[in-house]
Amino acid sequence: MERADLEQLQLERLQSTLNRAYKNVPFYREQFDALGLHPRVIASVEDIARLPFTTRVDLGDNYPYGLFAVPLRDIVRISSSAGTTVKPVVVGYSKSDLKARYALTARFLTAGGVVDTDVVQICLNPGLSNWGRALKEGAEAIGASVMPMSHMSTSKQFMAMQDYRTSVLLTTPSYAMHILGAMKSMEMDARSLALKAMLVVGEALTEDTRDILESDFNIDVTAGYGPSDVMGPGIAFECREKKGLHVSEDHFVVEIVGPEDGEPRPQGETGEVVLTTLTARAFPLIRFRTGDLARAMEGSCPCGRSLARMSGITGRTGEVLTIRGVKAHPAQIERILEGAPEDTSPRFLIHLYKENYLDMVEIWLEIADNIFSDEVKVVENALRKLRQQIFQILGFDVTIKLMEASTLDQYALPTGGVIDDR
Amino acid sequence: MLRVKNLHAYYGRIKALDNVSLHVRAGEIVCLIGANGAGKTTILNTISGLIPRARGEIYLKESKINGSPPEKVVAAGISQVPEGRQIFGPLTVLENLELGAYLRFKKKEKKSIERDLEWVFELFPRLQERIKQIAGTLSGGEQQMLAIGRALMARPKLLLLDEPSMGLAPLVVRDIMNTVSALRDSGVTILMVEQNARASLKISDRGYVLETGRIVLQGNSDDLLNDNDVKRAYLGKDYKTFWEGRDPA
Repeated sequence: MERADLEQLQLERLQSTLNRAYKNVPFYREQFDALGLHPRVIASVEDIARLPFTTRVDLGDNYPYGLFAVPLRDIVRISSSAGTTVKPVVVGYSKSDLKARYALTARFLTAGGVVDTDVVQICLNPGLSNWGRALKEGAEAIGASVMPMSHMSTSKQFMAMQDYRTSVLLTTPSYAMHILGAMKSMEMDARSLALKAMLVVGEALTEDTRDILESDFNIDVTAGYGPSDVMGPGIAFECREKKGLHVSEDHFVVEIVGPEDGEPRPQGETGEVVLTTLTARAFPLIRFRTGDLARAMEGSCPCGRSLARMSGITGRTGEVLTIRGVKAHPAQIERILEGAPEDTSPRFLIHLYKENYLDMVEIWLEIADNIFSDEVKVVENALRKLRQQIFQILGFDVTIKLMEASTLDQYALPTGGVIDDR
Repeated sequence: MLRVKNLHAYYGRIKALDNVSLHVRAGEIVCLIGANGAGKTTILNTISGLIPRARGEIYLKESKINGSPPEKVVAAGISQVPEGRQIFGPLTVLENLELGAYLRFKKKEKKSIERDLEWVFELFPRLQERIKQIAGTLSGGEQQMLAIGRALMARPKLLLLDEPSMGLAPLVVRDIMNTVSALRDSGVTILMVEQNARASLKISDRGYVLETGRIVLQGNSDDLLNDNDVKRAYLGKDYKTFWEGRDPA
């Protein structure tokens, strides 16, 4: 599509999205009115910078259906993620939204080389299960054979890859490295698999990781991007030139703004990714701050697509963490730990590290100094229950280590502070 | 072919169009649907240069035509079939059609005008049968055919059709819509305003939904036909309150 045509399409879709949001969603109407704004002031896509931001806190505050722009009976899928706010973030999809989602994931998959003769295996942890569904639908739309594997042991994933002759693996970069590490330790030849490509989501793909995976598996590796809690993995995708992620600009406006001041950053400078939906009916998002850091890329891609490109995610701003692709806020963990047994104090730190390439979370919980050993056993039983709760709500496993106050003191961090050794 | 950006239009102090943007690609039929008074006719009239108090950008094949007087808009290649036909009652069918080619007579295009007359009579055989009849005595459907034929005589690049089904019996509407479809197939680009949402969405490629002067939805006509909001508002399905989970606004 020509650039001028794309920009006209964006303008039209933005204007109607804003008209619908203003009309149907009290939150947006009040936000605009408070600033004396109305959708009619938007005369170009750039004018979007005049509008206020939406944050995860706003999404949580409008639990459950406050941000829906269509009647509930038009919603055909509700997906919620509890990782980042007091109340879960609830996102709804109408039939047309789902159709668009599948088209976008199909676009991501096709750009990565997936065709109808492929056998696609999806390995994502439960926290990304709504992505797993979207990717499965996208792959089915292409006509590929799909195995949506839920949380399964690495050896079972292997067996599937070998026996079913998987040709495309959809997973996170760290899980891909984990599989590679496991194969090497079992002295298996990664090149003996039928794999031709891996498409990775959920975490940034570093060039080092890509090089290792591509050479050791003898495949192509391309990445896709989307914030896991509010959207599918189809916002931006790499083509096989692997020179940046193409933004699906017919469905989203992506801005890069300064995390502190919210001002637009010029091309090439890193800033926070801010997303606006252009076609979402059930859940329009206007200038949503993702907390992901990236930069806009100049020029056009050799692949010939006219869609603008962004870099991969280079970091995060704010307190929301990305753990194995899943978004989580320390305050959520704090809330769950409020159920901790009485012999522990509420003070805790979060220790993140990598083991076999996977993100691991260790919660260092302060324990009272004068506790007896059999009391410790009781406490540890209670902690096991907390771990289950955390897994249920956030979708990943943590270990909880009891530490003495003096050890925690060494780190001079407030409660909920993060030590990131990844 | 046509690109419209940020159109605002007023009738006196009443705002009829509020930041409207749309486009029509060559060879498409695009329809504008919406309730009475939503502003659909105003969009066509603004494109034709008939609304003095309007601002915004209108491009026909990349040339700016906003601000142009109506005769320049017609000369640029846009022909409007007005709401209610508005054929010249006292004149004959033939005279109406010839007047449609008014701007072309000056350019001495006699032969091509005659060929176009033949083309119009092929599209509308009934008009040929009544070629000498006084236009005001034609039936509603025949007058609609005459109005379209007259607009086609200007050899437009873009045809603006305002409510072609208005006041016509369902069978006649079907005929007219079939003709509009045939026109598109012969290469005419059409922007059509219709209150009969179903009929227009069925023959068009894309549509825009207008509500009190604002575009609230756009998309492929098939998608719009299946859209729940469109179904409720314009296709007569499912009259219920907007929302069960919270108080209606």
